[in-house]
Amino acid sequence: MEVKIRVNDVEVNATRGESLLEAVRRAGFHVPSLCHHEALEPIGACRLCLVEVKAGDKEELTTSCNYLVEDGLEVVTDSEQIRKNRVANLELLLARAPGSPKLRELAAEYGVAVPRFAPIKESALPNCILCELCVRVCAELGHHALNTIGRGENKKIGLPFNQPSASCVGCGSCVSVCPTDCILMKDTATTRTIWGQRFELARCKGCGTPITTVKHRDFAIENKGLPEDYYDYCESCKQAATSKRFASVAW
Amino acid sequence: MPGETLGQAAGETKTLVVIPHKCVGCRTCEVACSFAHATAQGLGHSRIRVHPVGNERFVQVTCLQCVNAACVKACPTEALKRNTETGTIEVDYKRCIGCGLCEVACPFGHMHFDVKARQPVKCDLCGGNPACATFCPHGALEWR
Repeated sequence: MEVKIRVNDVEVNATRGESLLEAVRRAGFHVPSLCHHEALEPIGACRLCLVEVKAGDKEELTTSCNYLVEDGLEVVTDSEQIRKNRVANLELLLARAPGSPKLRELAAEYGVAVPRFAPIKESALPNCILCELCVRVCAELGHHALNTIGRGENKKIGLPFNQPSASCVGCGSCVSVCPTDCILMKDTATTRTIWGQRFELARCKGCGTPITTVKHRDFAIENKGLPEDYYDYCESCKQAATSKRFASVAW
Repeated sequence: MPGETLGQAAGETKTLVVIPHKCVGCRTCEVACSFAHATAQGLGHSRIRVHPVGNERFVQVTCLQCVNAACVKACPTEALKRNTETGTIEVDYKRCIGCGLCEVACPFGHMHFDVKARQPVKCDLCGGNPACATFCPHGALEWR
């Protein structure tokens, strides 16, 4: 259902029940965030998308990614209060991930020269901000291999019981979505190592170029309903075959 | 879908036409594509490739914008969708999770994957005015 909200005193069209952050961004307003992805369920972990929302006579400072749009909301995306809170959250995130270029860029944008909090000394996964994007993407894909482990200051991301997991297919989607690039994935000519687990790579039948892991390919064959031979060759070999087919028609 | 042709949607009359027997293999199209998709980080990956076939024959290959596209079927987050106005299959980078299945699934090899950015790269017909066709010096690529 189409509704109207006011963002920074500008009227914006939105859909009832959608993420406020997405509606605000679509209207062209800049709101920072690290843990939001449009294809995944928002959880409000990084606390950077804070905005001031006035709904009826209730006024609050809240994360916009997991705030659902309703008719007549009045939203402010930048104010002294918002900046102050975003800066505090940035400083806390920087203590977890001092080496993240994306976070440093954001900190510079918000004028954080020296963060108040010292970087944490020991971390199971250096530079991880526990945004759980990797956990959510893994669940969305249907693998459910990753999870959070422990609580409080011991909380970390990993495979259950820190043991190799049969659910992980080594697709690397967690690496793709990680905002601080803290997940290590290493490919050699024949294997991929990720989360301490080694996967055999499926290789092109023509030239031997690695395509993806064998488990990831098998997962695709099983679930995508496409012919199995689609997965046999690398993109260059497929292109060469396509061009040969075209050539046989052109001449 | 009945009545729909490759690279064309209802209302859209133009198609990228590849004419391999006019191609001399100069790869100007690849350069034009790279420049057309340049970002602040540098030149883009070329979406069109020229392949030599046998002796002094070349075929230019680029996304066919398939009606029943394997990449769209493989995408787990509906990040690949057909733009009904232009007929192009487009990547919604906000929904893409970089799993790489589209690249693996495309049977023609026209889906590329930028390993550094961990994002797929595909022909978007430059939003309706393909640079490859504009710059082809031999009329081997036509936008008509």
